[in-house]
Amino acid sequence: MRTRDAGKEEIVKQKAIQMIVSQGIEGFGMNKLAKECGISVATLYIYYADKDDLIKKIGTQIGRNYFEAMIKAFSNDMPFAEGLRKQWDIRISFWETNKMEVACWEVLQNSTYGEYINQGMVDLRAIIVAFYEQAIERKDLVPISPEVFRSIAFGPLFSLLKHHAIGKKLDGTHFTLTSNVIDEAFNLVLKALTP
Amino acid sequence: MEENRKNILVFATDIKTKMEKKQITTPLNDLAAIEEWNIDQKDVDCVLRIVSQSITAEEVIKLINELGFNCAELP
Repeated sequence: MRTRDAGKEEIVKQKAIQMIVSQGIEGFGMNKLAKECGISVATLYIYYADKDDLIKKIGTQIGRNYFEAMIKAFSNDMPFAEGLRKQWDIRISFWETNKMEVACWEVLQNSTYGEYINQGMVDLRAIIVAFYEQAIERKDLVPISPEVFRSIAFGPLFSLLKHHAIGKKLDGTHFTLTSNVIDEAFNLVLKALTP
Repeated sequence: MEENRKNILVFATDIKTKMEKKQITTPLNDLAAIEEWNIDQKDVDCVLRIVSQSITAEEVIKLINELGFNCAELP
């Protein structure tokens, strides 16, 4: 009788994330993954029904960790500028400490699994949506659609984080995301979003 | 999870297509000893996964071979 082992399961998750990032969704197989983890394929199929199940569970967990980190430090009744800054800070620290997970998340978002994984985040996203709606009600935020809000509020941050991840500016010279750069960008975003 | 206490058997097969899956569906569904089964056609090994308390690997291999497919138990 084969039983589950939480330690092994964690190794499987970490290895699977690495393989999705380095080889893509099509490129990795359960056999290869089992070998990398030093377990039998059969054991892998105790944890997961199939490759689909594995990818869905891993993607959902990354997303939930991300949003839960967000929600822990942030409350939707914070003043707009403070709440938005909090969200920036949490996003930045999550990117810093979970580089592989973020890279894997990006791969999955651009795949056929994106929709399934996002469905699992609806309850957590709702808290952020409530923050945005309350800010409009209080007239702390100009009345714009959620998509425009998201693009302007976080687009510049994601763009900077991508440069930071690559470590390069557009001209190829070295780039690090400093607090000065973050402040500069954040203040401009705030300027655009507040009435 | 309930599945922890059940026996899971896994096999590498050459059941690659939807049509081929159809050929094994009824025979596997009809076996009372099989509580649950699925086939991972996104994986290279087309892994057949069977949850059962009583069926043996040999019985599964024999059945799948009789249906015209290769089937080998995975370690």
